[in-house]
Order: sequence, then structure tokens, then C-alpha cells
Amino acid sequence: MSKIFRLFIDENIKTWKKTSTKILLIVIILALFGTLALTKFMQKINDNNESISSNYDWKEGLQEDINYYKEQITIGGLDETTRKEFEQLISTYELFLQYDVEPWNNTFWKAEIITQIANLQVNKTENDEANTEETIQNLTEILKNDDFAKYMEMQKQNVTKDYERGTITKQEYDDQMTILDLKAKYEIGKSSDEEYWRRTLLSSIEAMQKSIRTGIDQETNKVLTAESKQKYEDTIKMDIYRLEHNMAPTQNTENSRTVFELLAENFVMAVIAIAAIVIAGGEISTEVSNGTIKFWALTPNKRWKILLAKLLSVLFYILVITIIMALLSILCSNLFFTEPANEYIYVENGTVKTIANAPYTIEKYLVKAIPVVIFALFALMLSTITRNTAVSVSFSVATYMGNGMVMAILNTFIKKDWIRYIPFNNLNIVDKIFVNSPNPISITSSVSTFATSTSLEFSLAVLGVCAILMLVTMFDSFNHRDII
Amino acid sequence: MANTVLELKNVNKTFGKRKVISNLSLEVKEGEIFGFLGPNGSGKTTTIKMILRLIDMDSGEIKVAGFDTKKQFEKAMEYIGAIVENPDLYKYMTGRENLKLHARIRNVDSERKEKVLDLVGLKDRANEKVGKYSLGMKQRLGLALTLLHKPKILILDEPTNGLDPAGIKLLRDILKQIAHKEGVAVFVSSHILSEMQLMCDKVAVLDNGNVVKTEEIKVSEQEKTETLDIRVKETEKAIKIIKDKFKIEPKLEENNIVITIETEKVPILIKELATADTQIMAVIPREHSLEDIFFDATEGGKNNE
Repeated sequence: MSKIFRLFIDENIKTWKKTSTKILLIVIILALFGTLALTKFMQKINDNNESISSNYDWKEGLQEDINYYKEQITIGGLDETTRKEFEQLISTYELFLQYDVEPWNNTFWKAEIITQIANLQVNKTENDEANTEETIQNLTEILKNDDFAKYMEMQKQNVTKDYERGTITKQEYDDQMTILDLKAKYEIGKSSDEEYWRRTLLSSIEAMQKSIRTGIDQETNKVLTAESKQKYEDTIKMDIYRLEHNMAPTQNTENSRTVFELLAENFVMAVIAIAAIVIAGGEISTEVSNGTIKFWALTPNKRWKILLAKLLSVLFYILVITIIMALLSILCSNLFFTEPANEYIYVENGTVKTIANAPYTIEKYLVKAIPVVIFALFALMLSTITRNTAVSVSFSVATYMGNGMVMAILNTFIKKDWIRYIPFNNLNIVDKIFVNSPNPISITSSVSTFATSTSLEFSLAVLGVCAILMLVTMFDSFNHRDII
Repeated sequence: MANTVLELKNVNKTFGKRKVISNLSLEVKEGEIFGFLGPNGSGKTTTIKMILRLIDMDSGEIKVAGFDTKKQFEKAMEYIGAIVENPDLYKYMTGRENLKLHARIRNVDSERKEKVLDLVGLKDRANEKVGKYSLGMKQRLGLALTLLHKPKILILDEPTNGLDPAGIKLLRDILKQIAHKEGVAVFVSSHILSEMQLMCDKVAVLDNGNVVKTEEIKVSEQEKTETLDIRVKETEKAIKIIKDKFKIEPKLEENNIVITIETEKVPILIKELATADTQIMAVIPREHSLEDIFFDATEGGKNNE
């Protein structure tokens, strides 16, 4: 054991003293800073775009519309209904102008009220007129006083009334009350320039509630499976947790910190993979061609020990670089971005739990290093068998870069069961472990096909078998072939 | 009698259809510099690689310090220091760093490291990158690496290749010191005969994968003979004198009289020839006794590939 350890230390010294290793490390670090610069650049462009779009004066547009309708009415020649409709529109638009509310922003509570008033005015019938008039009065009062809490109160009363009247079921009542409670508690829709994700989250909660309630998946229009139901229930819990802790979902691309973290982890891990392939792919072949393999072979160590030490040093390299880069990435996102750190949220036994940003990032990087290890093993195996650095490195890099595309094509055409056993279909472990952190950048995760929708255990087993086969091949070759 | 350190018994090796080594057996003893001679392609390097198990042999047995290199590889390797073809060093590291790598594997303390560097005369330049070393320095550093763990046998494959005369002399001195003072067996392969003659205590000539001749190189002055090329104007007269007074049958090659005579009789011979007024033009000693052995054994080098 100590012999292998001594060989291992030697191998590490040998690797780290090489100039190419240092260059690779610099390239990896540059990849991180490149991502940082890119994200900052995109952020700047986004900010500029926003300022351009806000230059559009909606009030002017609205006034123009009002003028147009008024003109049409004075010209005359309209039938009764159209004229009424136009008058209605004019009065609604004037309300928008009066309370300085942008009409298109329909999740904003004031816009909601105005739309409601307008609807009531259109639909008021003779026998219900007094009642409707009162409601309009109340709504206008709330609008004047800018009283969000009271508006929420009123909505709740409406829901309760509906329930008492029997127009909605108990389930619907509960769901709607939950939404209103959330709205009231976290003042969602209160301010016109609040972050948009809270409203989106709320409407997705509503959709999921409906799916669960009706038993039909609102997205696919199919019967909801028990699995999906569980998933929706968990997601609702997590979404409520997000609202509670003001944590934007990770998909939120408005958040440049999130964008940076996602870009960085993908790009940096790709560069690490290539560096690992370059190092592993030259490990045996370069030494054979330089003759330095004899440096080791002439020491009192059996061949397998020498190869094992080399293998361990490659794995150690990947591990160390991955941890260093994870830490650097955490440091960068904390230094250069003001947004709150992303935490990983998941549900375990019905309760919402979180992993703080730093451990989450490190864990994610380490999980992403597993496919890198597979490709490094592949390169090392080729290096041992072919004893040709150019072949083993280029072939491994090509496989690393091209497998996603090739598999995407194969997966669309082949619908056989065996396609799931192809290792390349099982590389995406990170999305199977961190199910709740959708990764908009990686292609494989966004296309969840039959071939890739396997369980984590299955994928790990396939990769494990694959790794063992490669190990057996390389050790057998290295043990038995002559060193010439 | 000194102990046998390296022993080969009936070793065979075929590459494809070609039999490279057939039934090779030899022994190397403690404190002995053993020259392993043979023309190019005779299987010298193959033999050495088989001893070191870089190449697997087909059949036979190789023992180092009593350990079978196949069954007890690691134990056998503890006693071997070897350089095959070129010293294989990491060019981007300094001499000392290369030495440190080996020292760690061999579990050798730093005192020994410095001592070995001193022995090969590299102490001053140990902190330079190996890439900047001359070939001679690389050879010496390679030697330092092999000596680190105090091996019982040193196996060197063509160590004088590419070295300048000063480098060769330095190497020879180091090897002689190691062998004769520290009792290390040295197994050297080469095809440079003059070198071997100066360095070795014993030589084995390898041809077509087999040892065709093993010869002790005589060191005692009394037994030493000298082959001389004698050029005289009066050739007939000279031959007569040699025949009569020294009882030697001289050969005539071109216009030279070639004789082999004990070294101590050389002055008398010259004196006789001079007094007989044979008009000596030149007496040139041939230092090629090993060459004779070599060519005898390999049939005049006709088997060279």
C-alpha cells in the first residue's frame, strides 16, 4: 500500500511540474473568468434594452385609443352595441389613466380591479343593479385609498360567498383561499415594478392545484399519474417556500447570478473534461514514446501498481481541479453579483429542505465530475492500448464533444429498450440527483426522451459497468504487453 | 569464490517466426564487470529487457540475487539498477528532482542522494533542468538513479553510446570503482570492443541469440601477449631471424610481418632486428585481442545484419 502511495505522490509531482498541466489549469481558470465577463456583458446589454423599452409611453398610446373611439362615436353611424362597447372602453381606459395604471400588466392588482369594474359595468343587469353598483363603489374606494389589504379581504369574502352559495366545491375553496392568502401575505401583485417571478410562480401554483383537483394534467391534458401528482404536490410546497424566503427559481434568467452560475458550471466542467482527457490520454503513450515509462518499470513495482498510481493521480487531478473551480465559482458569484445566492430546494418526506449555495455548488460540480472521470478512463484506456497520444486524445475529445448530438439523433430514431444501456445516454447524472434544478443550458436535459429517462441507480450501474470494463481492459493490456 | 548475482538458464525468445534468443545461459558474479558483446541485432538488448522483464521470455529461468524475476519480480528488482538504451529522465525537471522521484519509490534517504550525486560528479549541476544536460551528464544522472538503492547488479545497455572520450573515461572510472570497491556486479552490453577491453573483467560474445564464447580478459603482465605489425626493408632477413631466434612462424600480410609474441620479449625482438640491420620502418602493436575473439566467434562478422 505504501508503495502505491509513494508512486502516487511521484506521479502527482511529475504531472504538476509539467508545463502543459499548468497551462491547462490557467485555461480552466480563464474559462471561469470568461464566463464571468460574458455574463456581465449580457447583463449590460439587457439593462440597455430595458431602458429602451421603458421609453415607450403607454399613456400616450392609451390617450390615442380614447381619442379614436370618441371620434368614431361623434361621427356616428355605429350600431347600438358597438357604440356601447366603445363607450365602455373609453371609460375603462380613462380609469387606467386616472389611477396611473399600465393596462397590459394584468396581474397587477390595480389593473385587476379596473378590469373587474369594467366587466361589472358591461354585465350589470336590471335586477342586480344595486348590488353591482355597490361592488363598483367599493372597488373604486379601494382603488382611491390604495388599500391592497382590503382588496384581498374583499376577494376572500367573494370566495367564501361562492362557497356558501355552492358554486364552488370545498376543494376549490381551499385552493383559492391558499392563493389569496399567499397573495396577501407576500403582497404579490401589489407593486407594479416588482419582480415578475412571484406572479409567475403563483399562477403555476394555481395550474398545479387545478391539475391535482381535476385529476387531469393541465399541461398535457392527460390523466394525472400518481407520480406526477406527487411531483406537483412537492413543487407547490417548494414554490411556497420560495415565496416565503423570497428565492427566485433557478430558471429565472433575469437573475444574472443564476445565469453566471449555470454557464460557469457547464463551461468550466467542459474545459476540465478536456484537460483531464489530455492528461489521461498522454499518461501511458507519451511515457512509452519518451521512454520514461522505463523510469517506473525498472523500479521494484509490479506493472499494475504503476498503472494504478497513474490512474489515481488522474482522478486526484480531476477531484482537486473540480473543487478548486467550484470554490472559485462561489467566490466569483459572491463578489461580482448582488443577487441573493441560489439555494437548492427539495422535498424530503413531505417537508421542504434546502442546501445552502456553497455546498450545493460544490456537490453539483463533484457530481458533474463523474462523467469527466468516465471520459478520462476512456482516454487512459485508449492511451494504454494504442500507445499513441494523438489518437487517444483526439478520439476521446471527439467522443466527449459529439456524443450528445449523436445520441440525440439515435434516440429519436431508435425506440428499442437496449438504447437505454448505452453509457452516453446515462451521463446526465446531475439532473437525476438535483431534480429540482432545471438546467436550461445542457441540451440533454431539456430533451427528456425515452432513452434518457432512466433512474439514477440505473445510470450509475451502467456507468459503473462501463468503468469496470475499461479498467479491466487497460490493466490487462498494460500488464501483458512488452515495453519496447 | 564470489557469489553469483545474475543467472540465466536456457532462456528462449522468439519474435514472430524469428528466434532471437536460443538457449542462452550465463552467470555474472559479484564485483565483476561483465561485458556482453555482439553485433547489432544479436539479441543483446532483448536479453537485457528480458532480465528486467520489460519483455516476457518464452521459456527459461532468470535469477537475480537468487530471486526468480518472474515469480518474485519486486524482490529481484530491489537488487537491480538498470539503464536500458537511454537514461529515461523527465526533461522538464531538474536532475535533483528526477533523483527525488526515484528516491521516494526506493525509500532512500537524502544523504544517499547527495552521496550518489557526488559519486557521478553532478553535484554542482543537479539543480539544472535535465533538458539542458549533455548526453554524458544524462548518462551520469541515469547512473546515479540506478545506484541510489545500492543494487547488487548494475545492468547497462550500451552505456558508452554517444559519449565523447572524456565521458567514456569518466564512466569507466565510476564503473570500476563501483565494481571493484563496492563489489557490485556490472553487466554491460556494447559493440565497441576497445571500450570493453579496457573496462571488463570478463566478456561473453553473443551471436544469433546464443553465447558463442566467454573469455576472461587477462590482466597479469606475464601472460600478456602482443600482436605486432613489423615493416622492414629486408623482409626475408627479418623472417629468418624471427623463425630462428624466437621460434615463431610469422604471417605475411601485404608487406607486413605479423607476429604474436609475449609482451616482455618485444624489446629483445626489436633489438635483434635492429642489430641485424633489417632496416626497421615501423613496429606497430595491434591492441585488438578482443577484436580477434569477436571476429573468431562471429565468423568474421559475416552474420551481421
